[in-house]
Amino acid sequence: MADVRLEGLSKAYGTIQVLRNIDLAIDHGEFVVFVGPSGSGKSTLLRMIGGLERISGGRLLIDNEVVNDVDAADRNLGMVFQSYALYPHMTVRENLAFPLRMAKLSKAEIDTRVAQTASLLQMDHLLDRKPRHLSGGQRQRVAIGRAIVREPKVFLFDEPLSNLDTELRVQMRVQISKLHKQLGNTMIYVTHDQIEAMTMADKIVVLKDGVIEQVGSPHDLYHNPASRFVAGFIGSPKMNFLGGKVEAAHESGMDVRLDAGAVVCVPVEPDKSLVGKPITLGIRPDDFSPSSAEKDIAIDLDLDLDLDFVEHFGSVTYVYGNAGKEAVVAKASKPDPLKGSGKVRLAASPADCHLFMTDGKALRRLHAPANWN
Amino acid sequence: MRLKRPTSTNLILNLLVGICALILAFPLVWIVMTSLKQQAEVMTWPPTFLFVPTLDNFRVLFDVAQAGATSYGTIKVDFLTPITNSVVIALGSVIISLLIGVPAGYVLARRDIPLKEDIAFFILGFRFAPVLLVVIPLFSVFQAIGLYDTYIGMIWVYQVVTLPMIVWLSRSYIEEIPKDIEEAAAMDGAKPVRVVLHIVLPLLKPGLIGASLLIFLLAWHNFALGLILSSTKAPVTVALLKLLNPGVQFYPVMAAGLVVTMVIPVILIVIGQRHLERGLTFGAVK
Repeated sequence: MADVRLEGLSKAYGTIQVLRNIDLAIDHGEFVVFVGPSGSGKSTLLRMIGGLERISGGRLLIDNEVVNDVDAADRNLGMVFQSYALYPHMTVRENLAFPLRMAKLSKAEIDTRVAQTASLLQMDHLLDRKPRHLSGGQRQRVAIGRAIVREPKVFLFDEPLSNLDTELRVQMRVQISKLHKQLGNTMIYVTHDQIEAMTMADKIVVLKDGVIEQVGSPHDLYHNPASRFVAGFIGSPKMNFLGGKVEAAHESGMDVRLDAGAVVCVPVEPDKSLVGKPITLGIRPDDFSPSSAEKDIAIDLDLDLDLDFVEHFGSVTYVYGNAGKEAVVAKASKPDPLKGSGKVRLAASPADCHLFMTDGKALRRLHAPANWN
Repeated sequence: MRLKRPTSTNLILNLLVGICALILAFPLVWIVMTSLKQQAEVMTWPPTFLFVPTLDNFRVLFDVAQAGATSYGTIKVDFLTPITNSVVIALGSVIISLLIGVPAGYVLARRDIPLKEDIAFFILGFRFAPVLLVVIPLFSVFQAIGLYDTYIGMIWVYQVVTLPMIVWLSRSYIEEIPKDIEEAAAMDGAKPVRVVLHIVLPLLKPGLIGASLLIFLLAWHNFALGLILSSTKAPVTVALLKLLNPGVQFYPVMAAGLVVTMVIPVILIVIGQRHLERGLTFGAVK
């Protein structure tokens, strides 16, 4: 068992505070992804867990043991670096054997473990090569192999796929997910790529400016973003944000008059104090559908879109345009009527809408979809 | 595509290169020729380029027993001792500089210490200072504490020449090693000492061999320190000067001494070059 607890963890360089009061519990076997824009402190947080960065405040516990002042070498964690950080003067075999040699294992034991790891990652044929004779993807596999060969308590990944091309990235993503299933270890993974976060994580931690914005399952973050920032960060293309004003609050939700004209009743927890105040309505591009006459205009959110351009992805088409002054992206399931420019009427169910207050906080939705699991 | 140049330009460029080479090679060729000539041939004007070469000058340098019976009259040259002195002093200086300078370079490259840049610049500053600045005050001090004319004293004072170079070179070589590699080793369970032993030093090896050769040459060619702070332990550079006795000037013998002095570093460079594996860190990151 290896669980990790962060209690009020903080990090400061001189007077510059990069991480503030981070509380987080990571259970054994969990795949946790730290995600956030650059400068959000996610890599620093990972390096603090790894022991490569001093902890300025708070406590870090691994298996209920405070490890704030334990050397990186003694924490028994495996780490994969963005730059791979292979030992250039050693062959792949020696690279894999290095952590085992440091752990003073017997020669026979080292050989067995290296062979096992090599076959697990399908790199038996690379064992006698030096890193400079490997491709990017192969180097990445060696780096992962070197992290797992010692069977550490927790694996740390620091943006491991960002140097790979798109195709390899997808392959390695799948491979790392499979590896997690096979090994069942706790993994902590840092990325700025929300797709990696969504596809791999059991739990996503969204960081912004050194504080945690939200912690939750990918499903949670997608359907119940706690703030406008999380809503905009998770999901691709980005959620649309439309300005408006609260007209009324009643049991079934809040009535919002959009700057673009329409009035929608959004089913969120009502807050009477917000009546008359400006508010932001969020709606994901995928929740739009081309409006048709059959739909009940009074219930739906309707938008008239001045088409800018259309993007065809094959399976899906996105239309870009303006509703009033605001830019809107929407999924169009049937691309036929949407070639070129003109006006399109879009519709969405108010149940799919999110409301964000001026400070960016979300109002709780009443009918968010149930969990995937 | 090759750039086409007019033949005349090519000719002029080649001529210029030739002139440069001639200027650089002239003293070298002259000394080698002189070392193979007889005393009488050396003095003739215009100089002769065709002569019967003799190794007699080299014999005079080393053959202490028969030295008195040369055509130059009675001279006694012991060239082997200064060569030994130079080897001991230069090698000793390199080793001590490596032992002190590489760790210092590591700290300057990797650790945040107060006044880091000032310390680094102060160390480098010794390269700008004239050696005599150190020698004059040290002369009386060395005599007082018994370091005058000792190997230990010489090696110590030679650090003025060699240590700043090693500190600066090793600092820049260490900065070239990605920090990630050291951190990866730490994550792999290696304590700082083992990180240095297993990761940093092997990666530094080619750079350090090059740097050692360089500072060996600096030490080998130093003149002022040996001239003032030694007598029996004088290095080869000082011994060469002593061949220029007032009155009798043994130019060919001195030339032979110069050739020997030059040959030793050349041999070292040829041996060392084979160890200079280039681009060793390539493939570590990215």
